[in-house]
Amino acid sequence: MSASQYAVPEVVVSADWVKEHAGDPKVRIVESSGDALLYPMAHIPGAVKIDWHNDLQDQTVREYVSDEAFEKICRDNGISNDTTVVFYGDDNNWWACYAFWAFKLKGHKDCRMLDGGRRYWIETLKYPTTAEVPSYPKGDYKVPANVDRASLRALRDQVLDHCNAGLPMVDVRSPKEYTGERTHMEGYPEEGVLRGGHIPGALHCPWARAVAEDGRFKSADELKAIYEGELKLKPTDDVVAYCRIGERSSLTWFVLKYLLGFSKVRNYDGSWTEWGNIVGMPIRKGAQP
Amino acid sequence: MTLTKLDELLDELSDCDPKERIEMLLDYARSLPPLPERFEALKDPDHKVEECQSPVFLFAEKTGQGVDWFADIPMEAPTVRGFVSLLWEGTRGASPADYADISFDVISKGGLKEILGMQRTHGLTGVLRRLKRIVAETAAN
Repeated sequence: MSASQYAVPEVVVSADWVKEHAGDPKVRIVESSGDALLYPMAHIPGAVKIDWHNDLQDQTVREYVSDEAFEKICRDNGISNDTTVVFYGDDNNWWACYAFWAFKLKGHKDCRMLDGGRRYWIETLKYPTTAEVPSYPKGDYKVPANVDRASLRALRDQVLDHCNAGLPMVDVRSPKEYTGERTHMEGYPEEGVLRGGHIPGALHCPWARAVAEDGRFKSADELKAIYEGELKLKPTDDVVAYCRIGERSSLTWFVLKYLLGFSKVRNYDGSWTEWGNIVGMPIRKGAQP
Repeated sequence: MTLTKLDELLDELSDCDPKERIEMLLDYARSLPPLPERFEALKDPDHKVEECQSPVFLFAEKTGQGVDWFADIPMEAPTVRGFVSLLWEGTRGASPADYADISFDVISKGGLKEILGMQRTHGLTGVLRRLKRIVAETAAN
């Protein structure tokens, strides 16, 4: 599989690229995993941990941390505005894509994904890991003014307009969540909602279909066959992706935007835990979009 | 009698600062006894804990004194593995009736919510619920 076929090929880096850039002060490797104990147990040498939940989310309001808090996280991890930040994590990089997306929301320029994430590095390549936590000289970080967040993130009223206009949406949850048989994903009962189903018009395509058996992204041709062939989306479409809390859909967002070069794709991070709880929102049950 | 041993282990865990707590939980994860060979063939959906993302299997069997139980959890799922290993140590010598008394508070008692974040503790509740159920069922059979 070659990254060179992707629309923005440099955004996906290989494990060997990461190895070659070990010690490069302009590159920071960031682990963002679902299991909080994975990083302390073992991680890629030189990698820092930025937690999608404890670091990037405000712990009171359902929102990302303030610009000031984000700047501090970056500085403390030796990240400056011009640092190349490479994300990786468990679960085929789904949490890592979420961290990538959150960094984009804060206007970070150079974000990359390590193809295959943690599992490919450890299990397939058997590359070395360490439990040693590195420390770097403080970075120099300032969240830029005028980040175009509207092109990355869809808010609920925009999604409602999008739905009413009949524009394309992709629901990337599991089949039972989509049809409404289940109101939560297996393993996440507390993230349930009052109503099950999907946003009327949303196409169904579970996020994991973008990932190959070994955890790496599928080739551009395979991805095209799914999103442009089966789902009949066009790279010029205005697309909204959502899931349960916006983490799985950030992987789909990444695939559509960077691997297939869609010009306008947004992640609806409120996702089903917001939509399925709002009074009066339109909902469709069953397999029909 | 209640599970004094488990309470002691939870107190010990919550008394640590968060960094030490992570290390202790990792030590527990490393020390979970391997699944006895005889259960390998029984790793099917019936023995899998549905609430967990990772493949987590629990088995119970009757012994002379009561019920013993075993778990199979990959090392790449250290949080749930560590938690189950803690439960395993804390329930050595426990009678089946003791399991019914284990409160779902163990997760907050051990200070786990603080290090893991709220959203990441539900899988653990699912494991505990399953453990209590299989011990009760095995004891009754």
